[in-house]
Amino acid sequence: MKNPFSVIFQKEFRENLRDKRTITSALIMGPLMGPILFAVMFGFMIQQQKNKSEKPLELPVIGADQASSFIKFARQQGAKILPGPDDPEQAIRDKTHDLVLRIDPDYAQQFRHGLPARIQLYYDESNKDSSTPVRRVQRLVNQYSQTIGSLRLQLRGVNPVLTRAAFIEEHDLSTPQSRAALILALLPYVLMIGIFTGGMYLAIDTTAGEKERQSLEPLLLNPVPRSTILAGKLAATVAFSLMAVAITIITFRIAFTFIPFEELGMALKLDARIMGLIFLLLVPVALLAGSLQTIIAAFSRNFREAQTYLSMLLLLPMLPSLAVMIMPLKENAWKMATPILGQNLLINQLVKGEAINPLDLLLAVGGTTAVGLGLAWVAVKLYNRERMLFSS
Amino acid sequence: MIHAQQLSKSFGQVQAVRNVSLEAPDGQITALLGANGAGKTTSLRMIYGLIRPESGQVRIDGQNPHENRELVLNRLGALPDARGLYKNLTARENIEYFGRLHGMDEETLQQRTDLLIEQLGMQKFANRRTDGFSQGQRVKVALARALVHDPQNIILDEPTNGLDVLATRGVREFLRQEKARGKCVLFSSHVMQEVSAICDRILVIHNGVVCAEGSEQELLAATGQATLEDAFVSLITDDEQTTSEVSA
Repeated sequence: MKNPFSVIFQKEFRENLRDKRTITSALIMGPLMGPILFAVMFGFMIQQQKNKSEKPLELPVIGADQASSFIKFARQQGAKILPGPDDPEQAIRDKTHDLVLRIDPDYAQQFRHGLPARIQLYYDESNKDSSTPVRRVQRLVNQYSQTIGSLRLQLRGVNPVLTRAAFIEEHDLSTPQSRAALILALLPYVLMIGIFTGGMYLAIDTTAGEKERQSLEPLLLNPVPRSTILAGKLAATVAFSLMAVAITIITFRIAFTFIPFEELGMALKLDARIMGLIFLLLVPVALLAGSLQTIIAAFSRNFREAQTYLSMLLLLPMLPSLAVMIMPLKENAWKMATPILGQNLLINQLVKGEAINPLDLLLAVGGTTAVGLGLAWVAVKLYNRERMLFSS
Repeated sequence: MIHAQQLSKSFGQVQAVRNVSLEAPDGQITALLGANGAGKTTSLRMIYGLIRPESGQVRIDGQNPHENRELVLNRLGALPDARGLYKNLTARENIEYFGRLHGMDEETLQQRTDLLIEQLGMQKFANRRTDGFSQGQRVKVALARALVHDPQNIILDEPTNGLDVLATRGVREFLRQEKARGKCVLFSSHVMQEVSAICDRILVIHNGVVCAEGSEQELLAATGQATLEDAFVSLITDDEQTTSEVSA
């Protein structure tokens, strides 16, 4: 004789494995969409970066014959000089060029007299494609100006170093990994959303679904405590969440092999140990998500209503991070113990290859487990109420 | 044996059941006869322990279903008004699920499931998923899973609702067999012929109150009518008069 908890767990698990809709949304769409989207975003970013810095700077110049030494300098620096358009403003508006350089008609004369010679740069700042070439052109002109300036001072017997009263030496401490932070910050959300979509249909099916298909009353006429019934159902919900998140992590692992991170100067790690730690961190989140979804679905009158509410719940994983932005938590311990937030921080650290503090891991798992168990208790209490049967 | 005393229940302002008492002995079929909304389902729900009565008490084989819920449910099989099945499970799996929840061992469960499938004539669809089953097929599966643990006490809420003639006869025949095995059967119905066909004792319930009780012959004698239907109509119209007299 099997204990009723496992009878219920097995039945719910098997029944939902047979449900095409549950399988598609929980175990295929959810876990695959996130990593694929992630890979596409990364790939796009890498492609854009590569295009920008490796392509020779294309420089349409009006009046190039005025400034032959500058043009020569620009060519030496790898710029490709193009004949300029007749109307630079029109060319920018029509997007035939991202930028146009116009050598002032007085350039040659000014230059000869040692006066600042004007070079006009036409561009549209709202055009994203122009930002990199504009920066490159500005750097080019500054370099040229400094070179010529130094030569002029040397000719007059002045040490050009005198013109530099102070200078900046840049120390960029970002490591290759930390540069990925912006996109990487999305990774924990994708995993959390996997958890929430993974258990969603089971949470509904076990509460609002049982009511809607009129099977709750017969079920409750079995000599099994309601708390055991709900515990078995909740366990099946959590199991589906965990399957979904395991598939998501594996998909990420596969996606990572296709993303040329090294081209961005990044190294991201997702080896077996890190995958295992991420999964461990997310186990209590699955308990929390399953309980919360069960509570909300228990209040819903039918499947459709529950589905609407639970779709809104998909925004929940973002809340702790938003809350911290508004009210900064100073204490690291509180951050780690806050459900979802602690996981976010630690997963980012793990993927970036940083060493994590075992105490932080303990706080994150412990804090979320405590909240998850509390919510599970509330779900059981709700299930025990007589009204639970008749709200449909 | 089922014994209920002075059960009352109201939902908000509506008094659904008032002081309902009944006794269903072993080896007999007892019917709760009433129109729609008379309080049959609420009375049965209180008896099988799903909802708590506001006052009064229930004893099933001497036990209170609200205090010793699991003990009582082991000796009770109930077919509620709600009879939804799990559509991704086969008919047999639906029945087995409830058997396992009753803690039956696998061997007994298989024997009992086979027997019920045969008795209720479910051989043709026993191994099919219940999605798309007809009303009759669904009721048979629901009945089989409610009785899979071979309980001494059987409570059925409108068991033949929506069934065709053949299916109805099948269910009636099954109940007669259970009665012959000494089981206590209590069921509710609004169908006169059915009650008349298989019942030993009849309780007429109207507006939440039991207004008459006895065998079919006794009810006919008391009202001076020739058929159960006429007796029923005269009983519930009488009752309305008394109620209006009381409230006036």
